[in-house]
Amino acid sequence: MPYQILDPTGTTQAAHETAAPPRAPRRADLRGATVGLLVNTKQNAAPFLDEVGRLLQERYGATGVLARTKVNFAAPAPEDLVKEMTAECDVIITGIGDCGSCSASAVADGIAFESAGLPAAAICSDAFRVTADAMAELRGAPGYRYATTPHPVAVLTPDQVRERAARVLDDVVALLTA
Amino acid sequence: MTEAPEAPDPEAAQAAIEYCYAQGWSDGLPLVPASQPLVEAFLATTTRAPDEVIGELEQVGRNCTVYLAAVNAAMAGCLPEYFPVVLAAFDALMRERAARGGGWQSTSGPAPMIVVNGPVRHELGFNTVGGAFGPGFRPNATVARAIGLIVRNAFGIRPHVLEQATQGLPGRWSICLAENEEESPWPPFAADGGQPEGVSAVSATLLRTCEFVDNRHTQDPEQVLWDVADTISRTGSLIFRDTSAGVVFCPEHAQMLSAAGYAKPDIQAWLMEHCGRTGADLRRAGKNGLRGPARFADPDESADGTFTRILPSPTHVPLVVAGARNAAISMVVRIFGEWSGTATPVGVTP
Repeated sequence: MPYQILDPTGTTQAAHETAAPPRAPRRADLRGATVGLLVNTKQNAAPFLDEVGRLLQERYGATGVLARTKVNFAAPAPEDLVKEMTAECDVIITGIGDCGSCSASAVADGIAFESAGLPAAAICSDAFRVTADAMAELRGAPGYRYATTPHPVAVLTPDQVRERAARVLDDVVALLTA
Repeated sequence: MTEAPEAPDPEAAQAAIEYCYAQGWSDGLPLVPASQPLVEAFLATTTRAPDEVIGELEQVGRNCTVYLAAVNAAMAGCLPEYFPVVLAAFDALMRERAARGGGWQSTSGPAPMIVVNGPVRHELGFNTVGGAFGPGFRPNATVARAIGLIVRNAFGIRPHVLEQATQGLPGRWSICLAENEEESPWPPFAADGGQPEGVSAVSATLLRTCEFVDNRHTQDPEQVLWDVADTISRTGSLIFRDTSAGVVFCPEHAQMLSAAGYAKPDIQAWLMEHCGRTGADLRRAGKNGLRGPARFADPDESADGTFTRILPSPTHVPLVVAGARNAAISMVVRIFGEWSGTATPVGVTP
């Protein structure tokens, strides 16, 4: 064959990372921990994460909550925001991933915090597992574990949001602790 | 009798096409297998370096170079001479905030709408008249398809994985209009994007859908505008406080409006004034409340009698003229996000 068929992806030349996926050391429990909530502006994300933060204080002994909002839900959190939250918090919760780009970026944020040394729990709607998994793979963390809540989230009433937060709580704690 | 040129080996062609499918490169239709000489012919049409990065998607850690754009354009079925238009279209799209952000991954599955202006339309054989939204014409069809292949292959945004379109929309990678400047009563669309008349230029934005307005019923231009306004104002498309909807006017509607004294800014002002819904209409559809820019179902009835306008600026109402002068059928194009308001000259490094 005189010529090869050319690859349109540009990925064959890219170096494949073989480093171990980033994973921060886990705490035994959440007593005394400051919980960082990275809210992505999606409908109901703020009340959902607020309730998770409240329950972690009420039931698991966390002593503080720091909520920050990521303005662009489609993109990973800016570096200075990751830095600030890493300095101020002990564990991180990101979400809610309930769209094509924001579920992927919620997982990307979780992995960024793991790299920075903080245990993180990303919460995504269960309709976006494939795209969340694909992002984890892109970030060098194939099989990265995150919590899911049933789809949809945006239309839930305040009571339903609180109920959902309570339901996902054990999974979040399991992700953050050893 | 002259000897017929030797026909290529169909089995070799089939094998090459199947090879491309097996690599996962195809959008579902057969690809032209790209070879080094073919791609070199594409690269020869531009002064830009093959390794120049022309687009970056930070969140997925991928970028597109001039070289990768050339490979994908070749695979899409473009001729080499279309390549400067592909580059201009891609540059124009990457000026869209939605395309740089999560647009390609979005559940809405938006379609690029590419508009070509200037002499390049006829030099390259773009369809500028009937059937503007396609199909049937190689430059229009393959330039749009090239963008789709770049997103799939260079950016790695594939359906069901990083691309999460709920239903997608017809024509996602096939909308490349060449404006019917010859029958338009107004300056070319590229002029609205800041390019002088007579310059070949490409504009682009993302669409959520296209909706026809068939009005062959009246000689009163204002009645036509009311018909357009009704389509623009439907509640199903409203998700935020503001929306953006362009109109691709057919020549007949455009000429009728122009003859009645409407220039483009007049039409934009008219539509900004008249497009919208009452609070009661919005409440009925569960979209009357506002939390920041996002709509939600608010039980509060106090604004039922208030008329809410939805188009905040002329840039939110881009106007294009395309199609044949054979019926009074125009198209409302529902924009995803907001058009950048710029056009990109063909053959120029931005």
